[in-house]
Amino acid sequence: MGFLDGIFKKKGIVLGAYMEGRCVEIKEVNDPTFSGEILGKGAAIIPSDGKVYAPADGEISTVFPTGHAVGMMTEDGAEILIHVGLDTVELKGEHFTSHVEAGRKVKKGDLLLTADIEKIKAAGYDTVTPIVICNTDAFKSIEGMTGKEVKVGDDILQLSK
Amino acid sequence: MKQFTYTIQDEVGIHARPAGLLVKKAGEFASTVTMEANGKKGDAKKIMSIMMMGVKKGHEVTITIEGPDEDAAAEALEAFMKENL
Repeated sequence: MGFLDGIFKKKGIVLGAYMEGRCVEIKEVNDPTFSGEILGKGAAIIPSDGKVYAPADGEISTVFPTGHAVGMMTEDGAEILIHVGLDTVELKGEHFTSHVEAGRKVKKGDLLLTADIEKIKAAGYDTVTPIVICNTDAFKSIEGMTGKEVKVGDDILQLSK
Repeated sequence: MKQFTYTIQDEVGIHARPAGLLVKKAGEFASTVTMEANGKKGDAKKIMSIMMMGVKKGHEVTITIEGPDEDAAAEALEAFMKENL
């Protein structure tokens, strides 16, 4: 395993952008649940498009019945939550379409859910979409590659065990 | 061991914010905190395990606490549930 260990140590675990838009620090999210890292460390994307894709290979662990958030376990053992918009649980599923269900295996870049971000904005909600590593304690470091415009799949978070 | 049950009153059940706050509260205690709801059982100190239960309004949640500070933990968690869920 020496050869592979070398590669993984160098690169660590990298998560890709799950939406197109501007990637910002989670501390900039205007909601203390996220900015205070109560759910874990992570990053956020201010989306320019409402399609949400898998940031890594893994398995869907939970899809909120309201469709505004999705949880997955990556093959590398990161428990991820992607939460579209702030307080959007109040929309009770309106403007959200899920494309996956719990237990589904996904590859990085697979479409997970679609949000109509224009309608969500019009309803008065912030569409900033945080990604959180729920098992933050399982990692030695979680570094965000924030402050840039991202296309789906671009590197945004680096995790090391 | 301490145990209590609570029926969820919150319109949208245990979503991200209350799950995070519940885990934070449970984490303040040394005791193990287990949650059982919707036919599933999990560690109440882990966010994903709580969110995976898909707890909705009207569901009955059973919290079991075991450890050195179980009395204080049970009291605090029961108060938390009543206030937030």
